[in-house]
Amino acid sequence: METLSTPARAYRATVASRRECAPGVVLLSLDAPELGRVTQPGQFVMVTPPGGERAAVALGVYDADAAGISLLFFVTGSRTSDIAKARAGEELALIGPLGNGFDLSGDPRDVGIVAGGVGIASVLLPAVALRRAGARVRLYYGARSSHHLVEADRFRDEGCELAIATDDGSAGARGRVTDLLCEDLPALLLACGPSPMLRAVGALANARGVRAQLSLEETFACGVGGCWGCVVPLARDSAQAPDFPPASAGGSDVVNARVCREGPVFWAHELRW
Amino acid sequence: MVSGVDLSVRLGSLALPYPTLMGSGCYGSGEEFAPFADLARIGAVVLKSVTRSPRLGNPTPRLVHTPSGMLNAIGLQNPGIDWYLANDVAKFARRPCAMIGSVAAFSVDDYAYVTERLAARPEIAAIELNISCPNVAHESETFACDPRLTGAVVRAARATTGKPLIAKLSPNVTDIASIAREAEAAGADALAVVNTVRGMAIDTATWKPRLGNTTGGLSGPAIRPIALLAVYEVAKAVAIPIVGQGGIETVGDAVEFFLAGASAVSIGTANFTDPTIPERIVDGLAAYLTERGLSSLRDIVGKVRD
Repeated sequence: METLSTPARAYRATVASRRECAPGVVLLSLDAPELGRVTQPGQFVMVTPPGGERAAVALGVYDADAAGISLLFFVTGSRTSDIAKARAGEELALIGPLGNGFDLSGDPRDVGIVAGGVGIASVLLPAVALRRAGARVRLYYGARSSHHLVEADRFRDEGCELAIATDDGSAGARGRVTDLLCEDLPALLLACGPSPMLRAVGALANARGVRAQLSLEETFACGVGGCWGCVVPLARDSAQAPDFPPASAGGSDVVNARVCREGPVFWAHELRW
Repeated sequence: MVSGVDLSVRLGSLALPYPTLMGSGCYGSGEEFAPFADLARIGAVVLKSVTRSPRLGNPTPRLVHTPSGMLNAIGLQNPGIDWYLANDVAKFARRPCAMIGSVAAFSVDDYAYVTERLAARPEIAAIELNISCPNVAHESETFACDPRLTGAVVRAARATTGKPLIAKLSPNVTDIASIAREAEAAGADALAVVNTVRGMAIDTATWKPRLGNTTGGLSGPAIRPIALLAVYEVAKAVAIPIVGQGGIETVGDAVEFFLAGASAVSIGTANFTDPTIPERIVDGLAAYLTERGLSSLRDIVGKVRD
């Protein structure tokens, strides 16, 4: 995966609109034209919670266009709760766009996108880019229940084919989203969701010889590669591996890569987790 | 100078235009934050610690966000001094601020060895001796918890270089003043006060520690009063400059540390809230001094009216 050289910088962005998609799930649109133009599919921003004294929160960029970006996120704690309270007209401090997103090069024709829960927030941009390039896109979307299944229509409107699974069976098949993947696998998988789901997608892809890109979830502090808090073991010969001595020089052939900097998207076959 | 106010500081022979250092391990090598902060408007970057041999660091999770702060247990992930000198250090020459190297080790000899090799490089303006990392299995922090070992490390490092040496002290001690005095007597040019406070968090669903390393170091505003008291006590014990650190997030926080006796401050965790905070502190300090008719930051250092 090539390193994207998008021009990240610090912004103060005005909230253009706010919508509660479901209880505890918020879609914020931010007025930030420059950011909207440069953000690549799978990148994220670090948003400072209003009120100070707390670290910024990494949020995947849900949508991006010439007007700005939108963020789709679940309220999971005090920091996301305070960001979710932002009303239209208020300003949010953020930095971005950050990280290396999905690699959509090579003109893939048949792509499966696997999204679990809040992972849906990072896969709209690649879905839209692939559809506009004429690819077939199948979205495998898993959630706890039908209440947590947000924005499915948006993907249908883009021409994605949907397969849905919920833990309680209140929508689609009852069970895990990865159970939907068993037959007729697309040649390329993109996935974003909780770590157990990503591990399952990666294992399935590796076993079936399918290439898969996983957008990883890890607790961040800085979000820009400065603190080394969010690492994942990666093959040293990966093009994404950080600079580190090989085993022959006292180092290791598996190195800890930063999810925020080298990732968040990694090739499944290069992860050593 | 910021609008006629002198904010400069000296740490031994190292003169810095601004009294703001970016804390070791929080700011990478500076390049990571360059898109979001003007490095020409900070005093120095204290680099991530380097050890004699490469280290993969601790297992994840390495971070836990806590009330007004965070726990970390990174475990000194670094490529080792050979690789670092060959591949990383030359890039530091391009930064528009001073670069301070940080050395961690598990023996007095290794502190001296790594210090000598790193300090020999022209890109490195000074050396911080990280004798207080709480997150490694070999109990590196032991050095800063024992006055005799603190003295031994500083003396051994002192013998290898004439560049400024900053000893980074631990708050996890009974009498930080006695350790500060040993570091000063052994030849330290300045003291960094303090490293993180040891702590832990437990997941109530799984009953497992929330850090891969079980324990970690607490930073952020939660530890600010602890750090401030440590600076106050150390300032009464030594004559060398103190770099105050621990949860500084606003100009008011920084002023507290200067009044307690710090000559400079280090900003770490606050960069994770907003990387423009260090520049705003510099601007705020100039305004604070101007409003009081003062022309130099030195006019308030150690001036707490106790």
